[in-house]
Amino acid sequence: MGVMQEKITIQLHNTIFDPWLQLAAWSSQTAAAATFIGRVREVAQDGRPLEALELTHYPGMCEEIIRQDAQRLLMDHDASSVLVLHRVGRMLPSEVIVLVAVEADLRGPAQRCCTALLEAIKHQAPFWKREWRDGQGTWVSGNTPL
Amino acid sequence: MTKSQERSFQVLLFASLRDQAGWTKQRVMLPDQDLVTAEDVWSQLQLGPRPASVQIAINRELVSPQTLVHAGDEVAFLPPFTGG
Repeated sequence: MGVMQEKITIQLHNTIFDPWLQLAAWSSQTAAAATFIGRVREVAQDGRPLEALELTHYPGMCEEIIRQDAQRLLMDHDASSVLVLHRVGRMLPSEVIVLVAVEADLRGPAQRCCTALLEAIKHQAPFWKREWRDGQGTWVSGNTPL
Repeated sequence: MTKSQERSFQVLLFASLRDQAGWTKQRVMLPDQDLVTAEDVWSQLQLGPRPASVQIAINRELVSPQTLVHAGDEVAFLPPFTGG
């Protein structure tokens, strides 16, 4: 593992980021890594074209919840390090909204921890999405299916 | 800190609740004697019955509706989360 890599890295970005550059800068020589990259969909929940997606969060509480989830899941799955990058603010379709990456000594712990952490972020971290179309915003009422 | 700040707490709303209420943040005075719960605070906002899906945080930690509110607290009402 690189000496500069933190065990848990969590960042909220209000501007676009390149997930591949971020991963390259973060990753170490650990044997297994699992990643998830989520992008803004082209369509709204009702199936019509989406103009933009706005993401609001509760500053401070949001980062702390993700950090607590990451700490717990690292231990539960015996993984070694976690990277979570999450956008906030206004995003366009196809822009990256979330990157979750986990390193571990084995593929199982890396993959299971990555999946569990993404689900924890979706259900426990105080983020709220609003879909914009024709200048009208609609708050999203639930998460997309797994 | 002024006298009014010593006896007050902050209320935060997010997402759809902001639109419903028309505000984001308010400073509220504590009554002189009565114990005040988080649910009491919601009732004072006059936003109707609190939906079961709206969670409450005090000082950025989730709490039950019966948790007491103290001067200086930050009380937040949180619609269902939709991140990730």
